[in-house]
Amino acid sequence: MEKLMGTVLLMLDGTQITLQIFCVTLAMALPLGLLAALARISKLRPLSLLMELYIWIMRGTPLMLQLLFVYFALPMIGIRLPDIAAALLAFTLNYAAYFAEIFRAGIQSIPRGQYEAAKTLGMSYSQTMRRIIIPQMIRHVLPPISNETINLVKDTSLIYILAMNDLLRVARTIVQREFDMTPFVVAGVFYLAMTFVLTWIFKKLEAHYAKYDK
Amino acid sequence: MQNMINDEDMMLRMHQIHKRFGSLEVLKGIDMEVRRGEVLAVIGPSGSGKSTMLRCLNRLETIDQGSIEIKGEFLAVQNEQGYSEYASAAKCRELLSCMGMVFQQFNLFPHMTVLQNLLEAPVQVKKRSRDEVLPEAEELLRKVGLFDKRDAYPSRLSGGQQQRVAIARALAMQPDIMLFDEPTSALDPELTGEVLKTMRELAAEHMTMVVVTHEMAFAREAAQRVIFMADGSIVEEGEPVEFFQHPKEERTQAFLQNML
Repeated sequence: MEKLMGTVLLMLDGTQITLQIFCVTLAMALPLGLLAALARISKLRPLSLLMELYIWIMRGTPLMLQLLFVYFALPMIGIRLPDIAAALLAFTLNYAAYFAEIFRAGIQSIPRGQYEAAKTLGMSYSQTMRRIIIPQMIRHVLPPISNETINLVKDTSLIYILAMNDLLRVARTIVQREFDMTPFVVAGVFYLAMTFVLTWIFKKLEAHYAKYDK
Repeated sequence: MQNMINDEDMMLRMHQIHKRFGSLEVLKGIDMEVRRGEVLAVIGPSGSGKSTMLRCLNRLETIDQGSIEIKGEFLAVQNEQGYSEYASAAKCRELLSCMGMVFQQFNLFPHMTVLQNLLEAPVQVKKRSRDEVLPEAEELLRKVGLFDKRDAYPSRLSGGQQQRVAIARALAMQPDIMLFDEPTSALDPELTGEVLKTMRELAAEHMTMVVVTHEMAFAREAAQRVIFMADGSIVEEGEPVEFFQHPKEERTQAFLQNML
């Protein structure tokens, strides 16, 4: 029992890194994803094409490769980032691309009549987006955003290749040292706990946004 | 048309409007005028271009040729090459701000309550204070008989109620001209009456109105003038009594026979 407590305490430290990556990535990737979505549907063709390219690269290559690239390749061209910053950069760029596509689909699902009503009331493009389109879009995209967010919790385990002591790496270290599989089970329970909390939060959000529906 | 019209009373004027969607010409030289306080009903078969004509008036569609005047100022004017040029963005915004529009599908903002729907544009666009607009908005809701629904979301309302809110929302911007694009076409028959009643009351207050409609009774009783469109052209126009009792053109006669 005492041994288990020790394991749990060690792994709580690892959870801190995991949560840090998760929270900062989410806080940066959501707004960036929204901006990218707006750029993607922009009438400025070069901007829209640039975003298409960015999204294609980020979704078309493994996140693992992107992490390795930021961590090992960037220093070769003189960009040396602290470990945690490198991981955050890769995660944010990757997740912003996924969020951008979700937001884009959400924005495009709003009927044209909403834009026309806003226009005939004299609202500008930015007013229309801010006040009419995006608030409605958020409700539509909550389920897919919830999905991606849960993926992010699990994807944070990829940083173990960057020798950062996140939850999974701590578990593996203990397993290798003591040849006891319990830490893997504990790690699984930790991930489940985090996704459970997220699922609960998104359920509340969906209920909140459903209030204007039937 | 033949009468001399005081220019100050001229609210809208379209001159030789042409509009194409690709190779399809949907408006083939429309001339139209609307005077202050006039209620103009536009009727015609579907696909005749009447909704497109209405949408050109407030620039939901852009015209290819011809000119549009709003209260004596050009929204669009035909240049020497024969194509329409619109006024500057700021000028367009200013001219279009005197027009309100009511849509077939209501297009209320579903994430806002009835009251918020009314307050949104006056507060966001005209930058008026909420406290100042609130009594006006409440008065408008009383007028359309929906004061008790002010805190409801649109999805809780019937189609007829939603359309009355949409009318009140447009009126909250204090327009001089109201455009109606088939306002009762999406409604169950028993709900059209309440919307038409609201529109009749508006007409009685001398609001300038252009109404694209299939409601012949409304055109006959509430309009001062009726335009019949077919195939992108105006076939016939006149005062309702004369128009409905003695239509001159064959196409008008055939259309009216089908409708009545």
